[in-house]
Amino acid sequence: MSNQIPLTWFLYFAAASFSIGLMGVLMRRNAIGVLMAIEIMLNAANINFVAFWRYGPTHSGEGPISGVMMALFVVTVAAAEVAVGVGLILLCYRRWRAADVDELDTLSG
Amino acid sequence: MPAGFSLQDFILFSPVIFLTAWGLLTLILDLTLFAGVDETNRNRANGLWTIAGLIGSLFLCQFLAFEFIGAAPGQDRLIFANSLNGGLLYTQFASLVLLFAILVTCLSMVWNFTTHWGEYYALLQWSAVSMIVLIASEELITLFLSLETMTICLYLMTAMEKSKKRSAEAGLKYFVYGSVSSALFLFGLSLLYGQTGSTNIDTIGQTLAGAERPGLTGNVAGGVAVLLILVGFGFKISAVPFHQWAPDVYEGAPAPVSAWLASGSKLASLVAMVKVMGGALGAWSSTNSPTSPGWVGLLALISAATMTYGNFAALGQRNLKRLLAYSSIAHAGYMLVGVIAVGISSRREEAAAALFFYLVIYGLTTIAGFALATWLDRDRGTEEIDDLNGLGQKHPYVGVAVCVLMLSLIGIPPTAGFFGKLYMFMEALNVGGQDKVTMIGLVALGLFNSVVSAFYYVRILKAIFLRDSDRKPLQWMGPEISLPLWVGAGLALLFGFKPAALLEDMEVVSRSGLRFAERIVPIEEKSVPGIVTPVRLTPAAPLAEPIEAPNTNN
Repeated sequence: MSNQIPLTWFLYFAAASFSIGLMGVLMRRNAIGVLMAIEIMLNAANINFVAFWRYGPTHSGEGPISGVMMALFVVTVAAAEVAVGVGLILLCYRRWRAADVDELDTLSG
Repeated sequence: MPAGFSLQDFILFSPVIFLTAWGLLTLILDLTLFAGVDETNRNRANGLWTIAGLIGSLFLCQFLAFEFIGAAPGQDRLIFANSLNGGLLYTQFASLVLLFAILVTCLSMVWNFTTHWGEYYALLQWSAVSMIVLIASEELITLFLSLETMTICLYLMTAMEKSKKRSAEAGLKYFVYGSVSSALFLFGLSLLYGQTGSTNIDTIGQTLAGAERPGLTGNVAGGVAVLLILVGFGFKISAVPFHQWAPDVYEGAPAPVSAWLASGSKLASLVAMVKVMGGALGAWSSTNSPTSPGWVGLLALISAATMTYGNFAALGQRNLKRLLAYSSIAHAGYMLVGVIAVGISSRREEAAAALFFYLVIYGLTTIAGFALATWLDRDRGTEEIDDLNGLGQKHPYVGVAVCVLMLSLIGIPPTAGFFGKLYMFMEALNVGGQDKVTMIGLVALGLFNSVVSAFYYVRILKAIFLRDSDRKPLQWMGPEISLPLWVGAGLALLFGFKPAALLEDMEVVSRSGLRFAERIVPIEEKSVPGIVTPVRLTPAAPLAEPIEAPNTNN
């Protein structure tokens, strides 16, 4: 393993994509855009998990790969979340003919 | 020891496996056996089938508690390679979640708000399953996975009401807020994993407690992790400033689903929060020295803001479901006082037991409150407080039950709500050290807020007893509404007269199931011959320094 990339590079990358995702959630009006931004945030956390697994300390008493396991499960969860999210967006689109989050304002107070 | 799974693991987890399979059977039966019947009977058939499954699972839980665990209740039981708790904490809280689910199923059978009954009841069962797994989880992986399964089921259940536009809107709002907060939560977990190298809650607690510099001083990544984890939990229990979804979703969702959100989801999330904040992050709770920060101060702020905001916002509400939503926010504020007490008290098990007592009573009374909203929804289609006018004259017994519920929610003796508040605030006042002032302040604010809350709970009673009915009278409740109402009111009164019984049970549960890492006080390095210096666990790898690349040939 020559030319190993230092851990901080991964962390900077993860933090940057996490911030991009967060900005996307806050600034996007379209619900599909929000959904994509959420996916970016989840993947940023995944990069962290895998990077920490590769570089970090491990404990005896549990398998060495808990970080990778977590990342794998997060991928599954993200897929389930997209399926449900797109379903809900479609439901709202049928009722309002719009998929913008700021048009859903009948409930307030 | 990365142990494999033994048969006993599966036996201990049989209630959960049983209920998961039962949910699948519900789907199949709905499409085959119940496919031809009309809406009302289809709802009823699916509902009764669901109740049978829930009761079966409950029976299995209690059987396990007596047969397997009861013999050695104190024993630390971890199953599935230390990822899940298999002891009394799991069986007793699973039984409680199942009881809540049975009451919610009763309420769902009241009127036809959707046409997809098989899917609805299957999701209800699977969300109960994931709540149980969430309560039992001892690992961040199982914790995150079950938390997500629970909320994904709840997003769908929220959007199930077909006749109302607001239900779909509530579902999408819940989804957007929920998935953003779980992404933040996950990022916090990843930073915590980086600090400790483990996803096991107990190992994390031990590692942090054994670190050379306990506390959060100078640890930016740790601070961010705590902050993000608090965002995640704050959303799930609807604490200010992550509460915006709660009133909209509780109002938009069908009333049984709102009851499920307020009771089951809140119960499971708070137990998980106690485990993570008290068990894993216990070492970061507070302050060994005045200069080092901890999460107690932050959580105290959130708690104070939550209870004050919830109560004052509830004062102006006219919709019963929305009022109960704000009341649920306010109660989350009181419960956070209990979480703080668990984090820093020297009597952590007792503090956790007091918090669990409060949770049980709150869950039961709030389901009964939503039963009232369900009744209004069925007969009137709206759930304004004014719809309750004159109820006491037509149905005096119901009036008495609601009176007990409201007194319990305010916290007036002889109801169980009073003892819940009493035990929890007493444990908070037992906290010593420099956080004592904070805790006294929080308890004082809690008492003040209880007085404020009386105003809006009494408005419901005023509508029931003092005003004359001006609308079309309500039909007879039917067993589906009266069962949750009477169970809630009855248990609130029963545990008001016998609070010790429930409290003792909760103490057994918290003693057997919760594990807190004791903070290792740095020992003076004296070279006493014959005494071996205690071995410390590996300290966390400092994040700020890049790990050096190994020697390369270039």
